[in-house]
Amino acid sequence: MIRIAAVGDIHLGEDCRGLLRPAFDTLRDSADVLLLAGDLTRHGTVPEAEIVAAEVAGLPVPVVAVLGNHDYHSDQEAEVTAVLADAGVTVLEGDGTTLDIRDTRVGIAGTKGFCGGYEGRSAGEFGEPLMKEFVRYTRRCASSLRGTLEELAADGCAVRIALTHFSPVPDTLAGEPPEIYPFLGSYLLAEAVDEGGADLAVHGHAHLGVEHGMTAGGVRVRNVAQPVIDRAFAVYHLEVPLASPEPVASLARHQ
Amino acid sequence: MTPGGTAEHGYRIARLRERLARDDIAELGIRIEERGGAFLLSGTVPTAAHRDHILRIAQEELGDTVVVRSDLMVASASAPDRPEELP
Repeated sequence: MIRIAAVGDIHLGEDCRGLLRPAFDTLRDSADVLLLAGDLTRHGTVPEAEIVAAEVAGLPVPVVAVLGNHDYHSDQEAEVTAVLADAGVTVLEGDGTTLDIRDTRVGIAGTKGFCGGYEGRSAGEFGEPLMKEFVRYTRRCASSLRGTLEELAADGCAVRIALTHFSPVPDTLAGEPPEIYPFLGSYLLAEAVDEGGADLAVHGHAHLGVEHGMTAGGVRVRNVAQPVIDRAFAVYHLEVPLASPEPVASLARHQ
Repeated sequence: MTPGGTAEHGYRIARLRERLARDDIAELGIRIEERGGAFLLSGTVPTAAHRDHILRIAQEELGDTVVVRSDLMVASASAPDRPEELP
């Protein structure tokens, strides 16, 4: 069993130093890894990233993160990433990382992801250059997620987790105005999770949504936005699958 | 209330949302609705100071003629008391 702690949307401003650290210090007893699902800062500035870094620096568990849209707001996502990396955080964007936890190889594939909406109600790659690029950007994020999940399987990971900021499914958006769903995530991310194969998908972004959802392919989805989980983090005890995973991917290929 | 009044309230809510996103507070995650002739703010924010800042801005933008009500909560920064088992 793998113990996964996760939180997103902590939105730490410069006045938030030390807010979550007391809770994070308990991770030694409760989790094997801490996932951060983006929107770690309020405006994506270096001083805010330093606050986040101080919250997680030197924790007794590995910390793996993706950034969120707030972390991109000041066009300093590279600097924010560097500050977090200096504090020991593995920041993913279109790539993955593996951890060996009690003889189980755990793979985490991460991308911020982007929006566009869900099946039958989504933006199309058509028309103005801006509109096409909007959809293509999401498509690139999803494609990297699928590719990374496949690589993690090839690398012998018995457990795979997809970490995004934007939501792969509409289930976890319940409570948000339906009109803004297209700005909260994209079915392309769920399709990538189902085709690439994963045991759990973790995201943030939807503050008014709910914690639980599932992809069409049966992968459990958890919205860990802090306003949703109303705790410093959530912990999931994930059983290690007995057989080699990737049932959905092989199903899709054989159809 | 006249139809014009309702439309104006809609624009004022939109302006408040834009200001909350643009200002130092960078808040995009709360709900703002017209409810029973008042404006209602709801949702969950990281700190009490953040909540008070939002309410100050909302009062400036909307509070001159209409009551602003708050049901904003502050998220818990405590560790969870139990995990979720995912068999």
